[in-house]
Amino acid sequence: MDFTIDDEQRALRDAVRDMASRFAPPEERDKVPTGPRAHDAKAWTALAEMGLLGLPFAEDAGGMDATAVEVVLAAAELGKARVQTAYGEALVAASLLAAAGDQKALLEKVIDGSALVLPAFAEPMRAWAPHDPSVTASGGSLSGVKAPVPIAEVDAVLVTACEGDQTGVYLVDSPQVSDGALKLDGTAATKLNVSADDLDAALNLGIVALAGEALGAMDAALAMTVDYLKTRKQFGVPLMTFQTLTQRAADMYVSVELARSTVLYGAMTLAERPSDNATASRVKVLTGRTGRHVGQEAIQLHGGIGMTAEYAVGHYTTRLTAIEHTFGDTRYHLGQLARDVSDHAEVDVFA
Amino acid sequence: MKRQLSDEDAAFRQRMREFFTTQVPEDIRTRWAAGAEEGMDDLIRRSQQLLNANGLAVPGWPKEWGGQDWSTLQRQIWHEEMQAASVPPPLAFNANMVGPVIAAFGSEEQKQRFLPATANLDIWWCQGFSEPDAGSDLASLRTTAVREGDEYVVNGQKTWTTLGQYADWIFALVRTDPKAPKKQMGISFLLIDMLTPGITVRPIQLIDGGHEVNEVFFENVRVPADQLVGEENKGWDYAKFLLGNERVGVAPVGSIKRKLADAKTYAASIATPTGTLLDDPLLAARIAELETEVMALDLTVLRVAANSKDGKPDPASSILKLRGSQLQQDVLELIVDIAGPMGLQWAAGDELPGWATHSTPTYLNFRKASIYGGSNEVQRQIISGGILGLKG
Repeated sequence: MDFTIDDEQRALRDAVRDMASRFAPPEERDKVPTGPRAHDAKAWTALAEMGLLGLPFAEDAGGMDATAVEVVLAAAELGKARVQTAYGEALVAASLLAAAGDQKALLEKVIDGSALVLPAFAEPMRAWAPHDPSVTASGGSLSGVKAPVPIAEVDAVLVTACEGDQTGVYLVDSPQVSDGALKLDGTAATKLNVSADDLDAALNLGIVALAGEALGAMDAALAMTVDYLKTRKQFGVPLMTFQTLTQRAADMYVSVELARSTVLYGAMTLAERPSDNATASRVKVLTGRTGRHVGQEAIQLHGGIGMTAEYAVGHYTTRLTAIEHTFGDTRYHLGQLARDVSDHAEVDVFA
Repeated sequence: MKRQLSDEDAAFRQRMREFFTTQVPEDIRTRWAAGAEEGMDDLIRRSQQLLNANGLAVPGWPKEWGGQDWSTLQRQIWHEEMQAASVPPPLAFNANMVGPVIAAFGSEEQKQRFLPATANLDIWWCQGFSEPDAGSDLASLRTTAVREGDEYVVNGQKTWTTLGQYADWIFALVRTDPKAPKKQMGISFLLIDMLTPGITVRPIQLIDGGHEVNEVFFENVRVPADQLVGEENKGWDYAKFLLGNERVGVAPVGSIKRKLADAKTYAASIATPTGTLLDDPLLAARIAELETEVMALDLTVLRVAANSKDGKPDPASSILKLRGSQLQQDVLELIVDIAGPMGLQWAAGDELPGWATHSTPTYLNFRKASIYGGSNEVQRQIISGGILGLKG
């Protein structure tokens, strides 16, 4: 097993880092956005121009013929710089359009950034269950509610819906999103020719992309915390004088390093086996737990300043919380793993 | 970035797996897996001599003294496969501690005299570091060695001497310069025959009822001066080398994975009103989470093994020690919980299986894992100071 990145990957990472630094949100009083991300069309165009939206897709579809590994490296830089986009979500949609086979024109537009197409899978008052939606399909029209839709300014969304006992993925053009919700009432939709496996593979790609973003956010939150412990003085001495703080920083570091191994491994594995749900769930569980640990401790070790909107560290925690609850939370994925726990004697990372 | 093992490493893994599962006698492996204390020294000796005969006892040593030209990853695979097959590993005091120190800092005469016998466990070594008032603060040790002619005269007390009851020799840190400006600067590294007059070994009984550690008393023990390793008063450097130079085997991943797999088998054998304990959602979730955390450790071991810098104290080892001991303890805790009421009994019988009756003493015994070899608090300090640059 080899975790080192090659020259091409390093070049990609450096280019994304440079681009991300230009779109990092401001850190001035009263100018800092709080809460869920807003869509930044300029940042999105920059992502597309760099080819990030097409990284794992075939060249003839406008993609870069790279893999989930490159996705993770790019996403980590976005996470570090707090460039909060719908990158993971867009990859899920693009993956489904690619799997459908007959959506080449739209896929190309998604990849070049001219069309924003995102999944709208979550439903109000329903626990995450991607294969068991309450929205229904009948003769090419959909009924029910999807919410929250990741970004209101979408050109199209992909919606999961049941027709009888069959779950399908449907494309809804120019959806009317209001207050984060998409109300479907006999709304016309195109059924994509995708399987349950395709849906899993798409979600797994989204999971690993978000895990990469989370890894970048955790790296940055830890670095800020360590820096703060070195410079902030109380009682006339730097905070790092106090072992109760440095010991906890050490635990954060250990958590982040274990997450790094897991996320990179997850990317390598899913690049080979896109519908390896168990690996995706393990990545999700581990980054979910680590995100909470690191996010919470980053605020606590900063003290009051960590609570303020004008200081970045708390925004990482906001984003980590959002990531944990996208594409199934820790409870959901742990449940999936627990269900299958007797299927294997042990987890063989080389299998 | 590449997930699979190279063809060469995959073949290596297969070769190790085959050797450990077919060439190491079944009785050694089953008795070791069962955690038998009775005759444990014999199991370790037989295992190490068999491994040594096949070049598998001390792969990390320099080649001329029995080491192998393996990559760190291969040594990691060797270690994991050995643990997965429940093969008693080479005695750490010999293979990981005193051997590498003698090989790196000993005289040619010492190497010839000690290394072959150390690799083959013809000499059983124990470690004389900790003292009643020098635990985590090891450099406060007070056992003295005063030079008289061609000898050192040693006086003092060591403690927590693991398996000292079987030991032929002890490697000890002793104070040779009480006036040194820093307490780390007056310490030397001595090799002492346990049969030397003036040495007394006294057992310490532990909470699991077992006898694993000892106190060792030195009263005017006369040690030939040619048993000093390296230079006088440089012992602290050698001790740091010994404690921090190794990443392989720091986290017992192979053994943790095996125990976790065993735990599932145990859980599947315990009936509940609706099925087995393995079907219980709470227990299954706990196992699934542990499998995820162990996978993360397993991967981290593989990731840092590849970046090993030989010979230098390496703070990355602290991550492995910290997380490895925690997960080892978590899995043993899980097994006690699976044993449930059967864990109230500590002696096996016809109705109560050994894994269940051993579960509580084993759980209690392994609380040591986060204390020995630098407690987890010390490891955190190494990480915060050595990696994060947080210096109080």
